[in-house]
Amino acid sequence: MLNRRHFLKQTVGSSSLLALSSLVPEFLVNTARAAEAGKDQVLVVVELTGGNDGLNTVIPYADDLYHKARPKLHYTKNEIVKIDDHVGLHPSLRQVGDMLQKGELAVVQGVGYPNPNRSHFESMDVWQSADPRRRSGTGWIARSAPELQGNSSHIPAVHLGPKELPLALQGAAGGVVSLGTLRSYLSEPNAKDNDAKTRKRLREDLVKASATTQKDSMLAFVQRRQLQTYATVDRLADLFRPPVPAPSAPGTPAPVPAPAPPDAGIPGEAELSAPRNLNPKLNVVAQLISKGLGTRVFYVSLDGFDTHAGQKQDHAGLLAELSNSVAGFFQQLKGTGHDKRVVLLTFSEFGRRVQENSSGGTDHGAASCLFVAGPAVKAGVVGAHPSLKDLDAGDLKYHTDFRRVYATLLDRWLGCDSNTVLGGKFDPLDLIKAKI
Amino acid sequence: MAGTLPQSSTQVDPVLAWQSWEPSATDPWNLKWAGHLYRRAGFGATWTELQEAVKSGLAATLIRVLDGQPGAEERDRLVEKAGAAIASKEEADALRGWWLYLALQSLHPLREKLTLFWHNHFATSIAKVNRVDLMFRQNRLLRRHALGKLQPLLLDISRDPAMLIWLDSNTNVKGAANENYARELMELFSLGVGHYAESDVREAARAFTGWHTDGDEFEFATDLHDTADKKFLGRSGRWNGEDIVRIILEQPAAALFVVRKLYRLLISENESPPEALLEPLAQGFRKSDYDIALLVKTMLSSRLFFSEHAYRQRVKSPMEFVVGIVRPFGGSRPATMAPELEAMGQLLFAPPNVKGWSGGKAWLNTATILARNSFAKRMAVGDAPSKPGSPPPHGDVSSVLRRDKITEPSRAVDLLVDVHLQGDVTKAARLRLVSFLAEGKLKDEAFYQRAREAVLALWTMPEFQLA
Repeated sequence: MLNRRHFLKQTVGSSSLLALSSLVPEFLVNTARAAEAGKDQVLVVVELTGGNDGLNTVIPYADDLYHKARPKLHYTKNEIVKIDDHVGLHPSLRQVGDMLQKGELAVVQGVGYPNPNRSHFESMDVWQSADPRRRSGTGWIARSAPELQGNSSHIPAVHLGPKELPLALQGAAGGVVSLGTLRSYLSEPNAKDNDAKTRKRLREDLVKASATTQKDSMLAFVQRRQLQTYATVDRLADLFRPPVPAPSAPGTPAPVPAPAPPDAGIPGEAELSAPRNLNPKLNVVAQLISKGLGTRVFYVSLDGFDTHAGQKQDHAGLLAELSNSVAGFFQQLKGTGHDKRVVLLTFSEFGRRVQENSSGGTDHGAASCLFVAGPAVKAGVVGAHPSLKDLDAGDLKYHTDFRRVYATLLDRWLGCDSNTVLGGKFDPLDLIKAKI
Repeated sequence: MAGTLPQSSTQVDPVLAWQSWEPSATDPWNLKWAGHLYRRAGFGATWTELQEAVKSGLAATLIRVLDGQPGAEERDRLVEKAGAAIASKEEADALRGWWLYLALQSLHPLREKLTLFWHNHFATSIAKVNRVDLMFRQNRLLRRHALGKLQPLLLDISRDPAMLIWLDSNTNVKGAANENYARELMELFSLGVGHYAESDVREAARAFTGWHTDGDEFEFATDLHDTADKKFLGRSGRWNGEDIVRIILEQPAAALFVVRKLYRLLISENESPPEALLEPLAQGFRKSDYDIALLVKTMLSSRLFFSEHAYRQRVKSPMEFVVGIVRPFGGSRPATMAPELEAMGQLLFAPPNVKGWSGGKAWLNTATILARNSFAKRMAVGDAPSKPGSPPPHGDVSSVLRRDKITEPSRAVDLLVDVHLQGDVTKAARLRLVSFLAEGKLKDEAFYQRAREAVLALWTMPEFQLA
């Protein structure tokens, strides 16, 4: 059992917040069993923003109707990355195909929900709140946050990216962090910047000095959130900067510490902000996992999938970025020995119309496919490809409610009660290996 | 505090709560209440305004904030003309900067506060409307009605092109009604869930068929309008959209719905008030033909408003935080601030969905807190490391000390705390600030430089995040 001081030091690091630990928010100070970094399963959610064309992602190349519907946009059986006698992957997804062959990736077909909504933000709301009626104002990951955190002191869920906190992470009582592009968290004082250090000390002292008579008052709430923010900043600073080694024994010369520059190995602001970049974001996520941040769910996005016109090249580029990034991500994790505890999920707000349009693109559709990736995933194709004949107003019909995917990951991977989070029971899919 | 109102809002006497507050010797009008009034009735006060308010008393100050200063409407109209020109260039950030500028310059900040409130109430996003000029026109419409009457506001917004595009009104036609507008009108704009049935949504949608836009203006498509009989909220007739609005306002629930939202804006976000407490306001609202200005006046003059029930019980929205900081500077460059508001979670003209920004505690997460701090730093001390004697480009927060040549740390802290927080800091915080300013025994420019750091610190304090 870690004693309180040692525990705080581990999590809050060298922060001055240590001094008045009675005011540090509960989730940082819980002295009960602390889940040690490196032990819990992690889920990385990748949002493909805009409505990914599933039909050209996992391609029913053996079906004539596919080729007929897409004279300009189709891929022939020689171009695709073959999965089986029915479907193959878009040519850009070679590395995804490799992962599938290696037994580390599942493709789930025909995913959607009843009464599909073809509005971007409305359908996105559905996927993020896990509520097809769009009455919930909170996100499914936010609702899992308390269980994700359990008795640990770790931040349960983190968003990384320039956009505002997605609905999926909104509504948690506390404990969800938006890292933005990391810059504001890491632009903390370095050894030379005394001004900034003084400023930081003053700011934190004043937060602690605020009146906090009532725990449930607005003031107490703000104080807690601010302390959480500063503690997160400190935590990240500790993770990304190697600690100064302890002084050596008397008589021996003190080693000259050469700490790495604060932002060593972290992609720059421009890279992390670019909407069509996924690689830098997953790179940072892999680093945060490997360095022991302890977070259970990460959320990032790749934008640009709303391909109403000129789809052929655009989509190919985006899928290439997706494929390379996901493969690179797991390679990076394998290098640090963390790959087996991470599963990655892709999703998009809807698929696209079967029939291509007259602008070399496709319009908003409904059911689509998604990927679940990682060494812990039971590889293969889950569910049949939706019929290209029996359509719903020109769109593919779904057969697998997306909430079944969430339920599977919640119950069988993250150890959360999907019934509570999703407000109902959804049959899980066979996506997770019994033994890795 | 205004009289001795019970601590829990469920125990407050609804009649006493809304009576006008009368300051007394034991319960005086002072800096604290002046600051509170200016924050709620606008975006905060300058030091000059605060001092003037304390001197001239509650009544005079109330008139000033409720009615605005002479020439207010004229000035806003002029600025609106500039807005139209800016909007025609179809650059959203430019329009955001324009609105911030208007809020900063307005002689009637209360109207801007209400315009922002209605923007969130009838939450329409440029993400779907895709026309900056139409968003501007909606903004102008909201400003026109902000302190007017609810019925004309509801009627005009039902014909507003941005709103019509936002809620798919052009697909609402006879024989194939699209219920989107009818539903949101009742659920989110006037009655709230539970005060109408699904059949009412269907019938209301029929009444609004043909309420279209040609992309620029409202257009009533006569042949697409369903003229047949409809039964709406128990009333039968060949209803048109105007009738729907009229019948909605005959429901008791309508007044209560709007009153409850204004309570959150003007009184408190911390607790949900019992219906009994809101009922006197709702009654007054109905009787006055839904006069918004009168309702706002009643709330802002009340004993409940000038009590701990309301004091610092709201989180400043990003626009309030930013405008509150910048306003005392006068000449600033608000056009550049739109991205910073976005980082704080409020991209103007782009609420996340038709329910609007949640507001309250939802404004504060780790990223938005850092964004607020970053903005505060830019305003107080600038971005580049500066030398003593060179104030940051937006204005000098230590000018209030400089004016009276105050370089004694304790006096300086007292004044700065009065200016920015109207004295509302703990003794411990005060002492910490004094020791900060006293470090190094700095003089003249070096001292004023350090004072700017102290102001930055004040702007990042928990108290400062609360309105």
